[in-house]
Amino acid sequence: MDVTSLQTSGRAGPSGGRRPAPPRSGHRGRRSPAASFGLHAALVVASLIAVFPVFWVLVTSFKPDSRAIEASPSLINESSLDNYARILAGEKGDFLAWFGNSLLIAGLTTVLAVMLAASTGYAVSRFNFPGGRGLLFFFLVVQMFPFAVLIVPLYNLLLSLGLQGSAGGLVLVYCTTAVPFCTYMLKGYFDGIPREIDEAGRMDGLSPFGVFWRLMLPLARPGLAVTGFYAFITAWGEVAFASAFLSAADQSKTLAVGLQVFVQQNRTEWGHLAAASILVAIPAAVVFYLVQRFLVSGLAAGSVKG
Amino acid sequence: MAGVSYVKASRVYPGNPPVRAVDQLDLEVNDGEFLVLVGPSGSGKSTALRMLAGLEDVDEGAIHIGGNDVTHTPPKGRDIAMVFQSYALYPHMTVGENMGFALKLRRVPKETIKAKVAEAAKMLDLTPYLDRKPKALSGGQRQRVAMGRAIVREPAVFLMDEPLSNLDAKLRVETRANIAALQARLGTTTIYVTHDQVEAQTMGHRVAVLKDGLLQQCDTPRNLYERPANSFVAGFIGSPAMNLKTVALTSEGAVLDGLTVPLPRSVVAGHDAKTITFGVRPESLRLTGGDEVGMKLTVDLVEELGADAYVYGSVDIGGTAERFIVRTDGRTPPSIGSTVNVTLRDDNEVHLFHPESGARLETTKAPTA
Amino acid sequence: MVATTTGAAAEHRRPGPRGGTERRGRVRRFLDRYWYAYALVLPVVVVVGGLVILPLAQGVFFTFTNINEGNIANPVLGREADYDVVGLANYLNVLSGDPAYGSFWGVLLRTLVWSGICVAFHYGIGLGLALLLNRPMRFRTLYRILLILPWAVPAFVSAFAWRYLFNADYGLINWLLGSVGLPTPVWLGQSPVAMVAVIIVNVWLGVPFMMVALLGGLQSIPGDLYEAAEIDGATPWQRFTQITLPGLRPVSSTVILLGVIWTFNMFPVIYLITGQNPHTRILITYAFERFFSGATRDYAIASTYGVLILSVLLVFAGVYLRALRSQEAD
Ligand SMILES: Nc1ncnc2c1ncn2[C@@H]1O[C@H](COP(=O)(O)OP(=O)(O)OP(=O)(O)O)[C@@H](O)[C@H]1O
Ligand SMILES: [Mg+2]
Repeated sequence: MDVTSLQTSGRAGPSGGRRPAPPRSGHRGRRSPAASFGLHAALVVASLIAVFPVFWVLVTSFKPDSRAIEASPSLINESSLDNYARILAGEKGDFLAWFGNSLLIAGLTTVLAVMLAASTGYAVSRFNFPGGRGLLFFFLVVQMFPFAVLIVPLYNLLLSLGLQGSAGGLVLVYCTTAVPFCTYMLKGYFDGIPREIDEAGRMDGLSPFGVFWRLMLPLARPGLAVTGFYAFITAWGEVAFASAFLSAADQSKTLAVGLQVFVQQNRTEWGHLAAASILVAIPAAVVFYLVQRFLVSGLAAGSVKG
Repeated sequence: MAGVSYVKASRVYPGNPPVRAVDQLDLEVNDGEFLVLVGPSGSGKSTALRMLAGLEDVDEGAIHIGGNDVTHTPPKGRDIAMVFQSYALYPHMTVGENMGFALKLRRVPKETIKAKVAEAAKMLDLTPYLDRKPKALSGGQRQRVAMGRAIVREPAVFLMDEPLSNLDAKLRVETRANIAALQARLGTTTIYVTHDQVEAQTMGHRVAVLKDGLLQQCDTPRNLYERPANSFVAGFIGSPAMNLKTVALTSEGAVLDGLTVPLPRSVVAGHDAKTITFGVRPESLRLTGGDEVGMKLTVDLVEELGADAYVYGSVDIGGTAERFIVRTDGRTPPSIGSTVNVTLRDDNEVHLFHPESGARLETTKAPTA
Repeated sequence: MVATTTGAAAEHRRPGPRGGTERRGRVRRFLDRYWYAYALVLPVVVVVGGLVILPLAQGVFFTFTNINEGNIANPVLGREADYDVVGLANYLNVLSGDPAYGSFWGVLLRTLVWSGICVAFHYGIGLGLALLLNRPMRFRTLYRILLILPWAVPAFVSAFAWRYLFNADYGLINWLLGSVGLPTPVWLGQSPVAMVAVIIVNVWLGVPFMMVALLGGLQSIPGDLYEAAEIDGATPWQRFTQITLPGLRPVSSTVILLGVIWTFNMFPVIYLITGQNPHTRILITYAFERFFSGATRDYAIASTYGVLILSVLLVFAGVYLRALRSQEAD
């Protein structure tokens, strides 16, 4: 096996010897113009469906509230940046504080979940220790866990730990929901890294922790990126836990909670709601853009070995 | 630098039944020696090497390096370097970083590392590639980087597990010579695993033959060739392989078709079985004219190698066709399908083994060692 | 040359004089070998285990009580807990299918249908798009980014977007339907149409994950398999069924299992789009309604639903994994 081809991270997947299938086409070589048209037509339609709802929110976000509810829609209708200006100015709640809270909580969740998932994934992938398989099964069960219904016990637990109402408690809860899947994904990724790499590291004088830190983590960067994305998304848009476990004070809300309240109080202010939604979506979109080229290989590694 | 010794060391994989991958291995490797571990696939060579590296548990017995018991020492405490079959270069580091990594971990000053890496790179013709990532190298270059990574560390012992098996035939021969020369220059104790007996015979000061986890024989290449300790070693070492046949034994000697090979009285007397395993190397046989006593060999194939030719054929012994290989002069090989007369060059150039245990039975011929 | 110290080695191997030493030795060897692994998983076990097992235990305990907002301990008001243990009453009430306790069986059926339909669409569309994307063509990266986008949109933003699109009076969907002369239903009203709407939204949300996972799976199928099949004269359809589908099996089995589990518990989509609508009620949203609605806040029934959800999923996972294994054995 060609160990050193490992770094062709982009799309080749993490396992060295595996070569990606050359994309299949019914006929070798050229596609007929009709087939080519069909292919692109299908993908354009699918892409439109995927993007349109968000695009429409974007369009609406520039319209005044009264124009947003006109029966015959149009792309531009007295559009301006007013909605954004008002939201950012804090007219609809302490938007910037919410934004900061969300960023902090999602950021902490991402870092913590990735670290936890990576160390566990590495242990399960490399050390055949008693309980390892049990742990993976336990993680599968955690995915089934109806967290939404166990808010009360979770609340009690956080209260007794003194974490209720703080960002820390919320971060831990988010980690609990994100870590199992992240661990599966990273275990798959580590499984694709040849064991000889670890052994070479051990011979060169690394401890198992050193191998993890200096070899596995750098080599699993695509996997880490995907895992981080997943954890970030989990935390960024979540409403139910955030409203239950954060203090009710306006300036300690997350974006999602603040906007949810805003939605409930202002059911008709579609223009403002749209603008606020776009503001929430932007950081997620940025993170998404940064990791999207790793998504395919990173996720596949996790699913194949899951 | 240091010697190495295995003291009744075993590796037993749990299972049902447990696999004794390495079984009670007793082996001493001297300081500065180049020892080759050879054996067929699955014989436990890699396992033995990895036990020494600390990558595999030692379930019974002990391992010593430089007189210290390292049986339970983790790899980093053993002062050894290993070259892997797959090279296991760190893909995210340049060639230079790969080679200097171990020193960096030991907090050797940057300039020293740089100097040592440069020196090793020069030795291995890697200087132009120091800033490349491994994926941008050819197989042979990667192999040299793996060697360089081991050399830079100046360890007490080098371990190499089939480091040449990913190279093409020509490069393999070339690199074989380079490694042997390098080892001679550095004088570092080296243990080298291969399944290729030619590699073993050409490179090793001594060669240890393993089979099913058991050490069969450990000796110099010449002794291994001339005095194999059992029929397994006899058949394994040498190419083409020794002709090994279990034949009837009479008071005259071993009976081969028309040929009866007289055997030393000491052997025949001390041996109570009716049969004996009789071995003769292809070069100890010769083709003769029809008037001499010999075996009738029907030629199946002739392998012409220029100066020499190997004749592959079969001889009818006691009703079964037995395959024989004979080395002969390359200029006048027999034609395929013909029948030729074959006899021994010298009645003393035979190897005798116990038909059941396979152990060597001593002939009168004096050892050459 | 270095003399070997055979004596020391023999010393080392000699078994301890008493069994106790032997056992301690074994424990030490065990720790020697595995402590790294345990050290690496310890944080996760503490965090995940603590936040799952303790609440679960308490949740299970709640199911045997009549706990609700009115009788739970309330430190803010300085009120002691005064709920009672009621044995299996909650389970009996729920499993009786009584509408007062959420018509369990009907809702379970709807949940199963919801999960089945959603995952079937996720997988089918995801696979279709993955196959399309796995060909060389122009704009491939662009298509990929656009198609994955729904995954990156926070759930409640998507919910907001779709509610706006589905709005009966000024939503774009009804405007489109109306302009081509089709009926314009009240999508998110109190009718089964609402279920169609949430399924559409959830399919839209879930396809990217499947697509990405399957695309990765496709790329891991060695290309020479297709070449070999082509040389053997396999038609494109045969290549799809004989090579692509079997090659995707490891990915498929994982993502389908995860997809079913996630969809089964997909709370935000339904809750944010249709709120408390009996026509879109699935187990988890009903449990949440019980939990949050009105003054009663029936934690006991909500927890009972939670435990039942977990049990249903465990049974499903068990059957699914066993089926997979026996299929693999063939
Ligand atoms: N983890 C394991 N569990 C059980 N048995 C094993 C394990 N690893 C190796 N073995 C067995 O141990 C024996 C020796 O294996 P080893 O890798 O040392 O062979 P080898 O001599 O290096 O062969 P090759 O030339 O093919 O590399 C084999 O029979 C193998 O099946
Ligand atoms: Mg081997």
